[in-house]
Amino acid sequence: MSVIPQDAYRRDAETNPYRPWPARITSIIDLTETEKLFEFRIIDPEIRESFTFQSGQFVELSIFGVGEAPISISSAPSKQGFVELCVRCAGDVTGALHAKQCGDVVGIRGPFGRGFPFQEMKGHDVLLVAGGLGIAPLKSLINHIHDERHEFGKVTILYGAKNPAEVLFRYQFDMWKHRDDFDLILTVDEPDESWDGERGLVTGLFDQIEVDPDNTYGAICGPPVMYKYVIDEMRKKHMDVDKIYVSFERRMKCGIGKCGHCGVGHQYTCVDGPVFNYWEAMNLQGAI
Amino acid sequence: MFFRMVEKDQIADLVRGLASEYEVVGPVEKQGRFVFAPVTGAEELRLDYDTTLLPPKRWFFPPEETIMRFRTADEEVTDDEVFAPPRVLFGLHPCDINALLLMDNVFTRDYVDPYYKARRDNTLVVGVSCTPSDTCFCNVWDTDEVHWGFDVFLTDLGDRYYASLRTVKGAELLDDYVKSSEVTEEDTAEFQRVVGEFKQAFDNDVDTTQLPVLLDAKFDSPIWDEFGEQCLSCGACSMVCPTCYCFDVTDRLAPDQKSGRRVRTWDSCQFKEFAAVAHGQNFREGRASRVKYRYYHKQWGYLSKFERVLCVGCGRCARACPSDISPVRVIEALQTGGVR
Ligand SMILES: Cc1cc2nc3c(=O)[nH]c(=O)nc-3n(C[C@H](O)[C@H](O)[C@H](O)COP(=O)(O)OP(=O)(O)OC[C@H]3O[C@@H](n4cnc5c(N)ncnc54)[C@H](O)[C@@H]3O)c2cc1C
Ligand code: FES
Repeated sequence: MSVIPQDAYRRDAETNPYRPWPARITSIIDLTETEKLFEFRIIDPEIRESFTFQSGQFVELSIFGVGEAPISISSAPSKQGFVELCVRCAGDVTGALHAKQCGDVVGIRGPFGRGFPFQEMKGHDVLLVAGGLGIAPLKSLINHIHDERHEFGKVTILYGAKNPAEVLFRYQFDMWKHRDDFDLILTVDEPDESWDGERGLVTGLFDQIEVDPDNTYGAICGPPVMYKYVIDEMRKKHMDVDKIYVSFERRMKCGIGKCGHCGVGHQYTCVDGPVFNYWEAMNLQGAI
Repeated sequence: MFFRMVEKDQIADLVRGLASEYEVVGPVEKQGRFVFAPVTGAEELRLDYDTTLLPPKRWFFPPEETIMRFRTADEEVTDDEVFAPPRVLFGLHPCDINALLLMDNVFTRDYVDPYYKARRDNTLVVGVSCTPSDTCFCNVWDTDEVHWGFDVFLTDLGDRYYASLRTVKGAELLDDYVKSSEVTEEDTAEFQRVVGEFKQAFDNDVDTTQLPVLLDAKFDSPIWDEFGEQCLSCGACSMVCPTCYCFDVTDRLAPDQKSGRRVRTWDSCQFKEFAAVAHGQNFREGRASRVKYRYYHKQWGYLSKFERVLCVGCGRCARACPSDISPVRVIEALQTGGVR
């Protein structure tokens, strides 16, 4: 057998897509009882400055000793130098993140996946529908549209949450209620006396809006049960199947098309999605 | 490709020569079954083996490996080097070399996996021809032949090998360690005759007509419930599969909690938690849906990306499955609508 010391053949992983970059938490905002908005800055200035992404893409958030979790970027691509993640405390990694303080360091790698077709959407009306935490990736798109508002036609946002306490980004939306360049309708299933928005499911809001079917892109993000019903409403408005975009959540262990966990139909959510158009999604067995 | 004739008694010299530069891994007998294991000389090799228990994938993608070491205080990676000793895999069959090519598609294209890649780069592959066993169906996928992905391929012509030299390194090995001679027209004719006999020896008749269409059109077929009933979710099929590459990643802290390792381990889509996400949702809760997913991905998902099915017909899963579920049975059920 070989007498050559095998250690001599250890090689550096030159570029390692599994290796997270240390990133510092630079702001934490409590949004609800279970959700916080974190702002991160990647510590290495070169990587921080070269980090660009599209709305709808996600990062793998790493906390060594605990693990990794895929989280959508909720800040807009037009804002560089930091990333914002809106995270629900749902388990090990997200729980460990919630226990962190401003100034603490975590790991981030990405961005991964296919986002919303922002360039294609330009010149059209957009109808964005969010349920619950689904507002996190859509907020990135909403803010990106905001920053290039003149490029778009009518912008309608429908957002539903369980109750007023769970409405995310309420501070921003409260301000936007009075803007006439965004048609924003909020609804909750269980209103309380403070609530002055709509009540009921987000699908109930479709009676209130007008859609130009030939000229409108749709984007939907929310809990899995929501998709079918919202798509039905969009189809009733005669929107094209390939102009309706949905974002999927699946279990992920790598984010780069290797570990197999995120398989949906014949695709991988992490590299082929998480954003799919409805035509593609219909062709994914077991997706909707 | 270039070709040389090598006398069989030269193999001992070849292995001895290789062992001076590389770790040599090949098929050896262990309690009546065959496994790939490090050898010190040709006498340990059993180049007449039918198939091994486990595929050679572990030499590129080990069942468990540390992908990085970390320090928790500042979230720094302290080490993500790859351990890739120079190695020769000696005696791989065409199915297993084809399986490596399918793995290469996943691990060496977009987002190159540095761990797999380093081992693949540092490993020479010497293939050897085989005779079909009763569970082999590589002929169905045309994986009974292989034309790249190896350095040297030896086709057994009785007392000599017809050696195909795919790479410079492969040609050098032959030059350095064995006496070989030029291939004559008669040798090539003999090669053709032997290969022709090999092709005739398969008696597996699997009808793969329009498989992707059937997988979609019969997605809700009761055959899946039947296979689901039989499946034990043990994941043995994935472990013995030369093309199953799914993995899990977990962090293991050192006792002082200050450092640790991020480890990846083989995983299987047949395990219940494989597609479970937060809030109690599981996208493939039932066994039927998981059995179906395995075949759906292999015969259609992977095909849609890489234009090949993710199966090489080695038959290991058919041998390993406690419930006798096999690709041959599943494909037949898809064709006929009934589980036999
Ligand atoms: C593309 C994408 C974007 C996302 N964006 C966001 C976002 O913007 N914000 C956000 O908050 N979340 C987002 N998520 C969801 C988030 O990734 C998950 O909530 C997260 O992975 C939870 O990780 P954790 O370690 O905290 O939870 P874990 O500890 O992994 O567990 C969470 C839950 O998963 C289930 N689970 C985990 N392991 C198993 C197992 N072995 N068996 C059975 N069940 C198990 C359990 O029900 C457990 O309670 C996104 C997910 C995807 C795929
Ligand atoms: S997350 Fe690993 S393949 Fe998609």
